[in-house]
Amino acid sequence: MQIDITHRPGNSAAKVSLDAGETITAEGGAMIAMSGNVSVETTTQKRDSGSILGALKRMVTGESFFLNHFTPSGEGGEVYLGTVLAGDMMEYQLDGPGLLVQGGSYVASAPSVNMDIQWQGLGKTFFSGESMFLIHLSGNGPVIFNSFGAIYPIQVNGEYIVDTGHIVAFEESLNYVIEKAGGSWLSAILGGEGLVCKFQGQGTVWCQSHNAGSFGQSLGPNLKHQ
Amino acid sequence: MRTTIEGGPAFAYINVDLDPGETVIAESDAMSSMAADLNLVAKLNGGFFAGILKKFLGGESLFVNHFTNNTSEARRVTLVQSTPGNSREIQLNGQEYCLQPGAFIACTPDVNFGLKWAGIKSWFAREGLFKLTVSGHGTVWYGAYGGLLEKEVDGEYIVDTGHLVAYEPQMNLNIQLAGGLFGSLFGGEGFVSRLEGKGKIVIQTRSLSGLADWVNPMLH
Repeated sequence: MQIDITHRPGNSAAKVSLDAGETITAEGGAMIAMSGNVSVETTTQKRDSGSILGALKRMVTGESFFLNHFTPSGEGGEVYLGTVLAGDMMEYQLDGPGLLVQGGSYVASAPSVNMDIQWQGLGKTFFSGESMFLIHLSGNGPVIFNSFGAIYPIQVNGEYIVDTGHIVAFEESLNYVIEKAGGSWLSAILGGEGLVCKFQGQGTVWCQSHNAGSFGQSLGPNLKHQ
Repeated sequence: MRTTIEGGPAFAYINVDLDPGETVIAESDAMSSMAADLNLVAKLNGGFFAGILKKFLGGESLFVNHFTNNTSEARRVTLVQSTPGNSREIQLNGQEYCLQPGAFIACTPDVNFGLKWAGIKSWFAREGLFKLTVSGHGTVWYGAYGGLLEKEVDGEYIVDTGHLVAYEPQMNLNIQLAGGLFGSLFGGEGFVSRLEGKGKIVIQTRSLSGLADWVNPMLH
């Protein structure tokens, strides 16, 4: 399997070249184009371990209900994957320690990568107004994730704060707590920052430069009411 | 304070490295990430009544956030606007700038905010009843949806509504129909801003209202 991210950073797409019999698993709706000899199998959650509960979990996270598995026959083929919003994409090689990916940022992974949903306390999610749901990826193999805007990494050594709408992915070695921004609830709500994620320990967090929710709120008042 | 604007022109964001004791003031919800030991406090945007006016008449936030470094080393906060696009900084040395609603991202604490009457026509053109001015000595960061186009005007210049980002206050701003009544209604340009005088103006290459006007007919 060969992954090339093209058209970065504004209009990124992932070109996945597959040998015969190799498979890439992608979020439903991510496929832009593919070779004619690629067959698609649709399952809920992960293939072979698909369960209704897993699929429901995926629906709750804001990811699509179904996953598509792309496998070329004959001499191999290629699949182009894309996303809805303008922004960057990144490939990450899982090798041992796991990775947590924010709900909307997952694009695709190799079948050798295990996927499980972790969701945060409902109360916290309710207050933040954002789906602070995470997909836990473990095992070995490549993962593709995407961002709204550019991706910038932060090497955390100690403590660092990221707005919940700006998290793309982070290494499992980091602990995190979701808490109010600043010193008081009043300040967090009045200042519009709401809930943030405080990371603790050592590891990397990948942030997206832009917040899809904030963009939606800027555009929303201009849209006609239904 | 050291700042860099990265990710531009499509996805500009601002890294602000605060030295001990320094403060940067940012628009509500502009923070994307920050050092955990920076002090964050929401404050009224220039006093209660000015804040209320700015929110309801100038299209700005009622509260802004103050990020202060109370540690003994440099600390970083990263700020961004809500739309994809470019960001710039203005160094103020006593001069004044007018910013259109939504353009303000952040400033240093010594910058003064003001409100100026923009007029009823401005309200009709969805540009706000008041306009925000920044003045004093310090740095202001502003952003746009799309790219930023700077223009030195001497005489008059016309900008489609929704595309004007900033201009110098000595410029006279008038809202008018783009052409005749027929052309304005059917040519798709509607209202335009006519700027008269001598000074600098900043234009954004996209507009949110333009995007909304494109999406709206497709909503069912």
